[in-house]
Amino acid sequence: MTAPQVVLTSVLLTALAAQALIPSHRILVILCGAAVAALVASLGGVATTAVLFARVPWDVILILVGLGLLTEVLASTRVFGRLAVAFAVASRARPRRLLLLFATGMYLVSGLVNNLTALLLVLPVLLRLLRLLGVDQRFASWTLGALLVACNLGGAATPIGDFPAILLLGGGRLAFGEYLMHAGPPTAAALAAFLAVTTFVVRPDRAADDDVTVHRVALAVLRRLHRNVAIDRPLLIGALVIECGLLAAWLLVPRESGIGPELICWLGAGVALLLRPRLGEALVRHRVDIEAVLYFLGLFVMVGAVQASGVLDEAARHLAAWDAPASVRLTAFLVAAALLTGLLSAGPSMAALLGVADGLATAYDPVVVYVGLALAVCAGSSLFLTAATSGPLAEMLTDRAELRDQQGAVVRFGFRQFLPVGLLGFSVILATALGYVLLVG
Amino acid sequence: MISVGGIGRAFHSAAGELGMLTTSRLIVDEVFAAAGEPGIVELRATLGRRYAVLDAVAAARLAGSPTPAPGPEAVATALRGATSLLVVGVEADALDALLPLLGGTRLGVLAVSELEVDWARCAASYGAATEVVPAADWARWAGRRAALLTFLYGRRGAATFVVPAWLRVSGPDVRTLFRTVLGWDVLGRPPDVYPRWLAETTVRDFSTVVGDA
Repeated sequence: MTAPQVVLTSVLLTALAAQALIPSHRILVILCGAAVAALVASLGGVATTAVLFARVPWDVILILVGLGLLTEVLASTRVFGRLAVAFAVASRARPRRLLLLFATGMYLVSGLVNNLTALLLVLPVLLRLLRLLGVDQRFASWTLGALLVACNLGGAATPIGDFPAILLLGGGRLAFGEYLMHAGPPTAAALAAFLAVTTFVVRPDRAADDDVTVHRVALAVLRRLHRNVAIDRPLLIGALVIECGLLAAWLLVPRESGIGPELICWLGAGVALLLRPRLGEALVRHRVDIEAVLYFLGLFVMVGAVQASGVLDEAARHLAAWDAPASVRLTAFLVAAALLTGLLSAGPSMAALLGVADGLATAYDPVVVYVGLALAVCAGSSLFLTAATSGPLAEMLTDRAELRDQQGAVVRFGFRQFLPVGLLGFSVILATALGYVLLVG
Repeated sequence: MISVGGIGRAFHSAAGELGMLTTSRLIVDEVFAAAGEPGIVELRATLGRRYAVLDAVAAARLAGSPTPAPGPEAVATALRGATSLLVVGVEADALDALLPLLGGTRLGVLAVSELEVDWARCAASYGAATEVVPAADWARWAGRRAALLTFLYGRRGAATFVVPAWLRVSGPDVRTLFRTVLGWDVLGRPPDVYPRWLAETTVRDFSTVVGDA
């Protein structure tokens, strides 16, 4: 390896490790890392800063911002809060149904909108119900954990659900329909398997209070607390029509037409914001996730510098040259990707590994490599509470909800409480990813 | 047999945001629907001493005369001419019935409670324009066309029972600061047991008292 390759790889790995260890300063860490990487790349003759910025996949960032704004429009209709109450009512506050309905519901929602926003609006309702029911630590851990695993799976089910899939769509590596057709069924199968094991083997509800009167009272209180939360129907209908239009356009408009998924997203988000110009202006000014934009911008600059130095190409060549059956090489790559994601979280891991996957995709079926990678990253992001951005959010909201069990003991949701759920989610999703690669590849 | 712990937890969790009476009526209705009169007897025996309003509502149900929803017409009449209304304490049933009768009156809810309340959501339940008023800011709502309202939980002679937050704003000078200082008796009968979670005051705090004597 050349000196710039060593230094750039070290800068990338150090920044990724530091942002995972100090999540409260992750934007600062990534932006400083990007600046250092740009300096090393310039001094080492690898690439100028202008070249690194030209390599940033702006289309991916545009899709992230556009989908985020579309989610904000949907959130303004108050539909997520009403959905959460509807899930609670449909469950009749029975613990097992509650877990299954909320997990399945969040899987479906996360496939279509930014799961952080959806979680931020759905979780308070669920936490309120858990508090009213006085659930025990075990049930709370598994219910909240299952929700996060379902969010991750929903995000991986469609090309617009979460960053790793958006990266594949934006980069033109996979078409919308192609990704949907290949990733949708395995994620649904993984969710079904995860929920089946949770429900019938783990049985987190076995110690739950079975008093129908308590269930009735809890639901009645919940309904009354949300009695005046009215959905903004005209806005909701408009936003849903636009969302359907976007899905149709992503599926039907060929890339050769020059209209890429990012332009479709941009136009769709623009029309959605124009539905209520005053609200749209306020959302654009105040609700764009600038934190995510800066984070991914810094990440892309660092990964771009490493890529320009040729390290990722060499890694892919080494993997291709490894004297082992193709399935073993791909399996090893996916397991490594899943573990790395567990440590670094989904965004950095996907951005760093995509260059290696590009190399593998020349030797194997590209669809299998990319979808396998997306599933492996999904498995990794379910391993630890810190591996997905929704984890710390759920931890914070649960802390604020001050859950207590029937004996008055505080119910927590943190790294330790999530770990058993994460290990099960990781195992099931990774097994599904490997099964998919072996069956389809 | 009902789970007393579960019902008590639900009451404590909801009473701050829905109000003692609204929560009591809701719980008594649900327990009656699920467990009938024996359930109400058990509810009263186990939680009645802790929550006096719940006890009173349960007792009324056992006596065959369920506590009615508060009627807002007399209150709306008493508030006629006021352009702003600061409410101390919350009773969801009462406020839901009253607000449509108040037209464009500016509404504020004083953010003080002994119980847990998500004030932002609580205020949002009464319309987007409802303001959450911090304890230190209540005097800013005073004025010639301003009204102050709290809920009374029964009267015994000149004594009446209110949420403790009322004691933060009541005082000899308050009646002169507001056009109307209104006490709305939503329970209509004094509690039979010692009213924990409530404070005793006098009807002389108020320029107008509405509700069953």
